[in-house]
Amino acid sequence: MSGAPVEVLQQVPLFAELRPEDLAQVARVFKKRQFAAGETVTKEGSGGAAFFLIESGEAQVSVRGHSRPPLGPGDHFGEVALIDGQERSATITANTDLVCYGLTYWDFQPLVHGNAAIAWGLLLALARLLRAAQND
Amino acid sequence: MSQVVPLAEAHEESVFGSKAVGLGAAARGGLPLPPGIALAESIVEDVASGEEAAIREVTDAASALPVPLAVRSSAVDEDGASASFAGQHITLLNIRTAEEVSDAVREVWWSANSDSAITYRQRVGLLHRPSVGVVVQSLLAPTVAGVMFTRNPISGADERIIEASWGLGEAVVAAQVIPDTYRVDRSGQIIERTAGYKKIAIRALPTGGTFEEPVASELTEALCLTDDDLGELHMLATRCETLYGPARDIEWAIADGRLYLLQCRAITRTGH
Repeated sequence: MSGAPVEVLQQVPLFAELRPEDLAQVARVFKKRQFAAGETVTKEGSGGAAFFLIESGEAQVSVRGHSRPPLGPGDHFGEVALIDGQERSATITANTDLVCYGLTYWDFQPLVHGNAAIAWGLLLALARLLRAAQND
Repeated sequence: MSQVVPLAEAHEESVFGSKAVGLGAAARGGLPLPPGIALAESIVEDVASGEEAAIREVTDAASALPVPLAVRSSAVDEDGASASFAGQHITLLNIRTAEEVSDAVREVWWSANSDSAITYRQRVGLLHRPSVGVVVQSLLAPTVAGVMFTRNPISGADERIIEASWGLGEAVVAAQVIPDTYRVDRSGQIIERTAGYKKIAIRALPTGGTFEEPVASELTEALCLTDDDLGELHMLATRCETLYGPARDIEWAIADGRLYLLQCRAITRTGH
């Protein structure tokens, strides 16, 4: 079985506006990645290559030295890096052995370039996130 | 074209990566290599994606190799003369069974797509998608291993520089010991032997992976290569230069009394 589970991916706000067939296409290009307990998953300030969805395990999050709530199964991180490949905004470390589904922007970009419906779904999701941020 | 081939049949860098093709040339040239196979970047991609047919094909091919195994990246634009990718892509040592190879291949794929690899690629202006092949080889249990430059990489002098330590060569490559250093001139004459300080040897664990074994105190500062070993290494350097051209950076190991070539690439920088 390859790719990430569609039903979990549906819960990710960035993908919430995609049509089921487009979401399935995105889900197929995810690849499983395992991190050992104690391993650094992302480092604040370093370049970001991928978006991750946690299947199992727990990870701790730190932003500018301050702890944030830990991440667990179903949680995700790296949406912005998925689009712009720029710096990570948090350091994430595996508290336990961590199993994730990862999607690199190298794999994501061609999907968006080749499918206007995916691009439109992402724009709708970003617009929704922007409105939510403005209302906070 | 088959996507999984014996090393001697790895010809296309754009398919198998430079490391696999370099080892393929060595195999065709009769240089002493541990047995191995090359995986094309397309099947590495499929294995990383969890495609069952690809996983089965790789597992079947790896089953023919004596275990344990080493799984190494062979990125298509890796090890070039202008941009060394050393340290950006991983090598997984001591894979105990053929069934574990696909997980190791997936890790190699991710090492080429990791944050640090992408940052590095952006820094050196490689903006296209990473493409990674894989080499799977039997892992030796060397008594001694290390690196050899067929030309002095600092001064550019026309002499062999050999660094050696006990156990797997990763102790030298990752600078975990102060290795012995030897200089041998182009005629094979030994110019200098300097004992290092080798407190640990990296060995394979029976359960997989490696560990750092303390080196017995009487061996810590003892030379680990004999004059005969240096003669063999000099001959290997000559054969590698004949096959690949001058100024080579070689990884080697001695196991069961026999010298093996593990890797041969261009020196990325010389002092002349």
